[in-house]
Amino acid sequence: MPRDLLTDFELMILLATLRAADDAYGVTIAREIERTGGRTVVLGAVYAALDRLERNRMVTSDVGDPTPERGGRAKRFFRVTPEGIRAVKDMQRALVALWTGIPELKGTRT
Amino acid sequence: MKNVQPPRLAVALLNRFLPDNEPLVGDLLEEFAVRKSRVWLWRQVVLALLMDAFRNRVEVRPLKLVDRPPLEVKRPDIRPWTRTVNLTGSPLPGVGGLSLVILVTLMTIVSPQLWCLVLGLALVLMRRHTGLRRLDGDSGSPLHLVGP
Repeated sequence: MPRDLLTDFELMILLATLRAADDAYGVTIAREIERTGGRTVVLGAVYAALDRLERNRMVTSDVGDPTPERGGRAKRFFRVTPEGIRAVKDMQRALVALWTGIPELKGTRT
Repeated sequence: MKNVQPPRLAVALLNRFLPDNEPLVGDLLEEFAVRKSRVWLWRQVVLALLMDAFRNRVEVRPLKLVDRPPLEVKRPDIRPWTRTVNLTGSPLPGVGGLSLVILVTLMTIVSPQLWCLVLGLALVLMRRHTGLRRLDGDSGSPLHLVGP
C-alpha cells in the first residue's frame, strides 16, 4: 500500500508529463490536461504542483535555453522519475480497486 | 482587431513579484501569443501571484541590532517574547502598517468595548516591561523584583 497517494491534479500532471515526453514544460503539460481533462488550467497551479512533486522527488526539472518568443525567458522541462512512475501505478491500482468495488459501474461504457 | 502585445502592467507585475519564476512568466507570454486574450492573461497573472503569495509566506523577523546576550540566558524564567526587538513601529509582532490600521478599524467597528481590555492589557505589559528593564539594568539586586 502506498504511503502517500497523489491528488487528482498531481496525478493528471504526472500523466500529462509522461504523455508530453521530452517536450514536457508548463505550456505543454497544461495543454495536455485541458485537452484530455476538459478543464481550464491555471499555469501557476501547474507550477505549484510540479514544485511539490519535485520536492517529493517524483519529477526532476532542467532549464532550457531562452527563446525570443517567450521574451527571452527559458523553458523548464520536467521529467517523471521512477518514484513518480511508481506513485502513478500505485494510484492506478488504488483507483481500479475502488472502481471494481462498485457493482453498478462494472462494465458500463459511456 | 486584437492587440497581440501582452498588457505591460501584467508583465511588470510578473517581473516584480515572480522574479525567480522565469519559466512561468515565459509560459504565460508564450500562451498569450497563441490565445491573444487579455482576460485569460490577467486571470492567470492574478491567480499566479495569489498562489505565490500563499506559498511563500515567510516570516521576516527584525534584525537584532544590539549585540548582547539574550535576557533568558541571564534569567531563564523570563519569557523569550519579552526580548523581541520590534522595528516595525507596531505593537504587534508580524502585524504592521496597513494591517494594523485595518485591524484597529475592524475592532472599533465590531466590538468597541474590546478597547478597554486592550488598554488594560497594555498597562499590565508596560508595567511588566518596565520592571524587566529595571531588572536588566540593575545588576546589583535582581532577585528583589522577580520571585523564584
